[in-house]
Amino acid sequence: MAKKCSENPQLDMTPMIDVVFELIIFFVVTLKMAVEKDETVQLEDGKHGIELTAEELPPSHLVIDIAKSGRISMCNFTITPNEIRQRVRDRKRKFGSEFPVLIRADYRTQHRYVKEVMDACTVEGVWKLSFVAVYDRKSGKQLTK
Amino acid sequence: MARRKYENPQLDMTPMIDVVFELIIFFVVTIKQEDLFSKLNANRPAPNDQQTQQDVVDTTIKIQIGPGGMVYNGRGVTVKELDRNIKQAAAIDKKTTVLLQCTLNSPHKFLVDALDTCAKYGLKNLSIFSM
Repeated sequence: MAKKCSENPQLDMTPMIDVVFELIIFFVVTLKMAVEKDETVQLEDGKHGIELTAEELPPSHLVIDIAKSGRISMCNFTITPNEIRQRVRDRKRKFGSEFPVLIRADYRTQHRYVKEVMDACTVEGVWKLSFVAVYDRKSGKQLTK
Repeated sequence: MARRKYENPQLDMTPMIDVVFELIIFFVVTIKQEDLFSKLNANRPAPNDQQTQQDVVDTTIKIQIGPGGMVYNGRGVTVKELDRNIKQAAAIDKKTTVLLQCTLNSPHKFLVDALDTCAKYGLKNLSIFSM
């Protein structure tokens, strides 16, 4: 046979599969790192609370972050108490009043900012609030002053 | 040209080793120990709901949280002393209402500490007030 390419007409798939796996792994790893919370928030220990598992976090749950500076955010977007009220109202319309509201407040933040968030929830008729704390410091990260 | 596998009947280990290394690297990168979180439940009465506060004030535990520390039923306490006091109170009645009064400039840390201590001894009626 004259032409070289017709000697071995089968396409070797191995490098392509390698690259595809590499890409899949890359995206799996990077997508998990997408920031959905305020990473600066440091939480106080709460070893006796209810452990937060997947069942404790139904799709209806709401997480509100409060940074040390008093910045209030959801999914790492800064929001105002009025916007919290709006979100809570939307949730209430969709899921009824029984949905978990989790407040991730930095251990150094002042109560006035926590109050703003709590008031925004109670005005909309949500009385049951939960504060997120650290159950077990598995990552070994400690609180900084 | 005959096919390669008839020429060299030995199994080529190279791709397998590649994949195994890939998996090792994958797990090394992804297995990052994450902190486990817990939630501490509490009730927040409506703002200016003074009525409730007045009604229950005699039959409850009152923990005041200020910028410097905590006050348990009018007595300044450390976290350890609070733990002991709440243990005693919980031994009598787990349904006791605990009023947590926080001043605006108190750090959130104390509130979480107090809620955690209450959760430790099974007190569930926790109300947070702001002053």
